[in-house]
Amino acid sequence: MKVLSALFLALFALATVPTASPQIGGGLDPAALVHPTSDSWPTYNGDYSGRRFSALTQINDKNVKSLSLAWLYQLPNLGDGLVRRLAGTPVVVNGVIYITVPDHVWAIDARTSKPLWHYAWTSKGGIHLGNRGVGISGDSVYFETPDCNLVALNIADGKKLWSQSICDLDQMYYASVAPLVVKDHVITGVSGDDLDRPGYLEAHDPRTGALQWRWSVVPKPGEPGSETWPNADAMAHGGGMTWISPTYDPALNLVYIGTGNPQPVIAASGRNGANLYTESIVALHADTGKMAWYFQPSPHDTHDWDAVQTPILFDGVIEGKPQKLLAQASRNGWFFVLDRETGKNYVSSEFVKTNWTRGIDAKGQPIANPAKEPQIAGVLVAPDASGGVNWAPSTFSPATGLFYINATHSYSMFYIFDDSDKPEGWGGHEMGHYTQAMLQAVDYRTGKIAWSHKWETPGGESGLLSTAGNLVFAGDSNNNLIALDAKNGTPLWHTNLSTGMSNGPITYELDGHQYLLVGAGDKLFAFIMN
Amino acid sequence: MQWPRLCLLLMAGIAPLTAHGQTPGALPDGQHRDTVQRACSACHTVQMFAGRRMSRQQWGATVSNMIGRGAKISDDEFDQIVGYLATTFPVDGKPGATTAQTKTPRKPSLIDQAGSDDKQVVDEDAAARGKTVYIAGCITCHGTRARGGARGADLLRSVLVLHDRYGSTLGPYLAQGHPKARPVSLSKEELVDLSHFLHQQIGDTLRTGPNNSPLNILVGDARAGKVYFETTGGCTQCHSVTGDLQHIASKYDPPALQQKIVFPDNRAITKQGTASRQHSAVTVTVTTPSGTTVTGEPTDIDDFHVSLRNAEGRYFTFTRSADLKVEKHDPLAGHHALLDTYTDKDIHDVVSYLETLQ
Repeated sequence: MKVLSALFLALFALATVPTASPQIGGGLDPAALVHPTSDSWPTYNGDYSGRRFSALTQINDKNVKSLSLAWLYQLPNLGDGLVRRLAGTPVVVNGVIYITVPDHVWAIDARTSKPLWHYAWTSKGGIHLGNRGVGISGDSVYFETPDCNLVALNIADGKKLWSQSICDLDQMYYASVAPLVVKDHVITGVSGDDLDRPGYLEAHDPRTGALQWRWSVVPKPGEPGSETWPNADAMAHGGGMTWISPTYDPALNLVYIGTGNPQPVIAASGRNGANLYTESIVALHADTGKMAWYFQPSPHDTHDWDAVQTPILFDGVIEGKPQKLLAQASRNGWFFVLDRETGKNYVSSEFVKTNWTRGIDAKGQPIANPAKEPQIAGVLVAPDASGGVNWAPSTFSPATGLFYINATHSYSMFYIFDDSDKPEGWGGHEMGHYTQAMLQAVDYRTGKIAWSHKWETPGGESGLLSTAGNLVFAGDSNNNLIALDAKNGTPLWHTNLSTGMSNGPITYELDGHQYLLVGAGDKLFAFIMN
Repeated sequence: MQWPRLCLLLMAGIAPLTAHGQTPGALPDGQHRDTVQRACSACHTVQMFAGRRMSRQQWGATVSNMIGRGAKISDDEFDQIVGYLATTFPVDGKPGATTAQTKTPRKPSLIDQAGSDDKQVVDEDAAARGKTVYIAGCITCHGTRARGGARGADLLRSVLVLHDRYGSTLGPYLAQGHPKARPVSLSKEELVDLSHFLHQQIGDTLRTGPNNSPLNILVGDARAGKVYFETTGGCTQCHSVTGDLQHIASKYDPPALQQKIVFPDNRAITKQGTASRQHSAVTVTVTTPSGTTVTGEPTDIDDFHVSLRNAEGRYFTFTRSADLKVEKHDPLAGHHALLDTYTDKDIHDVVSYLETLQ
């Protein structure tokens, strides 16, 4: 395999005109991340904004019905019972696609789908649910492992450069986030919802992995935000995992992260208060990790509604004036538009029906109705714990001004199982579901639903991509990949992938061809116009 | 490297399930194992649940929940999957146990994939002995469940205890003299037993722990429920307490009964341990441009195709177009509409009313 890899690389090196384009499989200057080239998708979200919008128009609403398969890559079998689900977003740099599942990274020739190298990490444990992909800086490829390591690989051959522990497996953290490279920082988040531990976001040195800064989601006694917790013990175990990649505004030098649910998760009698900065959208100074502002979508959450959904950055017009905006479709069923410099709220609206609030407060944050907190005998709540939208990424198109959400309208009953004076862990759960799935297009200026496309069968939770070709790409629960008219939601093209789309689709242009790349279970599909 | 974790998961119960010849990371052999493997590993590893020990009813509720979250599982597969899980991962920890137990063993901890592969494997007997060590020396300050109190730390959230393996960090700590006023003195065996007890208690706090069932559903007013049933709820349009709902409370326990009312198209397991059918009973009628009509149970509906099976079991698929008429009939539409209108009190009242129909 090594010989083969070397051979491939050698062949590519020969085929490449020395001065024309970068070497295939070569590295990436972090400065290039500010303005990604059209032949790349160099981060989890494609660029720092998190919009998942592409300016490419070769594939468009007029011709998409002729989109066809360029190649199909099937992940090798890693052993019976192990997950091979592509739950991350592929990263594409210099003609090579980097994909992951827990503990594994592959580099694949973007033109031919031939594997160039494969790296396997020897695991010491942790939850192997999914991995969200890699980050790239210079000649290093970074990824997180379920057993709490940040690993750097040589981009040329997949050999390990170093690894750095980023969490404690004994405290039942695990790691799955696609690291985000921002200037001279590799930003990492942590996961884990079993033991009550505080979440945090860290920046590491791209060359050594050394810790540069750490922002703790939950404050310490006396710090701002501590007044939203009853005591030091609750804070020490307050949760707020950082399990989706942040976004970044280079001009403001601010990193934006959504934080997860507080802990204990369901039985919350030991953590009265808003529980800052869990369930929050937070702006941090990229070089120090110091907080600039916060906005909390779900104060005192008791329904596992992590607010980790990507804070999407775009410029728009609000109240007649151009504004630097940030929008999030949050798991609690609400859509928010904020000023990304100050955190000021412009829009708070439901994108699916919810029944857990009593309106919004002066900051624009929903006010939770205590009667809809989990009860011993059960309480009917919309949405269910999976939420109005889960981790699968939304998209914003500056061409249509619409924010697209692959949404679910749902109900579930929430129960308290542990009614003691000190519940720990979850202490309760939801049971039963009613669900309806739909693609919602939201006008960012008003929060109103511009159009809604109902999926006939519920389930499925694919990510989305919008393009300047007036298209939105989505997956439904019957394993279809669908291109819809971005202006009105009419399906224009589809193909059945035989497995549900398990991540967000991406696009890029190589040799004059626009590619659409989609992961579905253990298969990676590339489509082009023929 | 999956092997240690698999061992741990399988030994989380009382009887180790060390199936010989198992592929690391795989489920133990059993009827319909492949169905379980296929249906569940589309979204997560099988280790996510292979350490759990639950009753047939609880496994049924879990699988039903997964269907609600998008798992593609047919009626037949539902029975197969619940059958495999209830047999392979039963609540008493013994696969396929048919003989009567002399005593009801403690429900084991819910230990899944979280944590390190080399985490402590709890010996339940040692943990039981450790509990007496705990009661003798620790309970006064650290509380009845080791979750701490005004005078002592929460031992289940103590990093020192989390790093402990069979007394490895606990021993040296206690040896320094703890508590200061009256240091405890434990034998090596007592120390290991205490460690097992604490790790057992930690396991009980993971996710929902072993106490993963509703405590008390029956808080409603049965008389108000009767009124709601007969008037506001409109239940008598389809149901009768002397007809289809006669003895309904002897069929389902209260939590399952509540779930059947609120989410009638989710499957539940009866008191007798059988699965209710997924009688969402939605039917679809397709009329072709030439006027041919087919009615049946839909197997797949999306924007592009409609597939259905008619009453004789014949399978049809149609490509959707503007002149293909597709009508859905949902007999549970009334239940779905209630989700938007009823209060939690209405739900609790109706459950209490139906619970009188023994």
